[in-house]
Amino acid sequence: MSRHLVVAELRKLLGLPTAWAGLVFGLIAAPALVFVNAPALRRAAETGQLVNAADVGYQNLGIGLLGALILGVVAVSSEYTSTGDDSPGARQLTSTLLAMPARHRLLAAKGAALVLVVAVQGALTALVTLWLTGLLMPDYAPPFSAVRVGAAVLYWVLLALLAYSVTLIFRNGIITLTVFIVNSSVVSVSYLLTKLTPAAAYLPDIVGAHMFLRSQPADITIPPVTAGLTMTAWVTALLALAAYLFHRRPA
Amino acid sequence: MDPWFDASADRIRLTPRMISIDAVSRPGILHDVSFEARPGRVTGFLGPNGAGKTSTVRILLGLDRASSGTALIRNQPYASWPRPLTVVGALLDGSGSHRSRSARAHLRWMATSNGLSRSRVDEVLAIVGLAGEAGKRAGKFSLGMSRRLGLAAALLGDPPVLVLDEPINGLDPAGIRWMRTFLRQCAAEGRTVLLSSHLMNELASTADDVVVIDRGRVVARGTVTEVTAGHDTLEDAFMSLTGEPSEAAW
Repeated sequence: MSRHLVVAELRKLLGLPTAWAGLVFGLIAAPALVFVNAPALRRAAETGQLVNAADVGYQNLGIGLLGALILGVVAVSSEYTSTGDDSPGARQLTSTLLAMPARHRLLAAKGAALVLVVAVQGALTALVTLWLTGLLMPDYAPPFSAVRVGAAVLYWVLLALLAYSVTLIFRNGIITLTVFIVNSSVVSVSYLLTKLTPAAAYLPDIVGAHMFLRSQPADITIPPVTAGLTMTAWVTALLALAAYLFHRRPA
Repeated sequence: MDPWFDASADRIRLTPRMISIDAVSRPGILHDVSFEARPGRVTGFLGPNGAGKTSTVRILLGLDRASSGTALIRNQPYASWPRPLTVVGALLDGSGSHRSRSARAHLRWMATSNGLSRSRVDEVLAIVGLAGEAGKRAGKFSLGMSRRLGLAAALLGDPPVLVLDEPINGLDPAGIRWMRTFLRQCAAEGRTVLLSSHLMNELASTADDVVVIDRGRVVARGTVTEVTAGHDTLEDAFMSLTGEPSEAAW
């Protein structure tokens, strides 16, 4: 994979206003939630009702994953949107493939650019969120753990790659983004499925949270390493399918 | 006289093939399409809408696949060129840019992907007359400006081969005249220009060689003079070759 291709894909991604919306949202949502949740958490702790003490701070990281999802989706959907009303069939993907015609190398470069952006975003968000938690709730914040922060960043990166591969399969950002946002913020279909079968806890969008959270709403405990491996396997399989389809389909 | 402009058959056979399309087929669309384009000449690829021009061009550029046959640029498939923008400049439908990107930002990522310098971006913007609009979002461009931006992208790598699909669609008369002069100049510099169009009169005044395609089959190829032989105009020749009533061709 050439450095030129990765830099070009970075330029493309960071040149999109929607990508910046994802970046900014991802960066500020979790730290903002610390302020919102702090009074209630403090009250719960003072009355002895704080059940998930180990996850104070870390729980807020969940909302920021929407930023990673947006980035994963727009990295691909921007290729498929029409370039203008004058030529509704024309898309940026044509320019992309004219400049970088080796499709597997293009996908690798695009994925690498996405991973870089999301990893930096995830690391910054996690550090700021945990620092703020320590500042606002010094008595209750769990000790800093580089491993847990790393796991949270890995979760974000894998989620971004999940959104990337699913958007590549459907070639449409609106469907993918709606499903992901609804599933992760309004009603989690995956979580509801865990009520039917515990195996649903291994679905790709929710298993990864076990990497850095110690308590889960479904009351199913999956060891962090198992969770990481399971999510990596899901993402690898979906990426492989997306790459296969991308290679076969006409542009 | 520039040797490239010697339209004699011997001279054409001696020049190297920059674009060679050999027995390309795609079920229901293209049937055994073969032709070549050579340096220093504008090759017009002529046919009514839906005849298979865009499909052929997209196969040549590696965007679509042929079920059989080969389409090569300098004896290699497009996708095998590591820095393709330095070999072929292509202009297809639309500006090629995401609508929220400025013209300059679009050209910059393209330049980066092929290891081209930043200064080249400003050069091509000046060539196509968009220097003053470099910071404007591509989504706000008129059709004519979009075509110019597409052409600027095609010229980024200063390529010896240009492949242009319906480049004058949407251009005003001044734009058409500019494009014609520009393409003639490219050929005069020794570049290979493949130009698809359904506008016969336009091709007659721009092209040296013509390939006529109809319903996915090549029905004639040769110099403009050869293809027009026996008819008053290229348009008459086209009508007689394709059996199309003139409205259908437009």
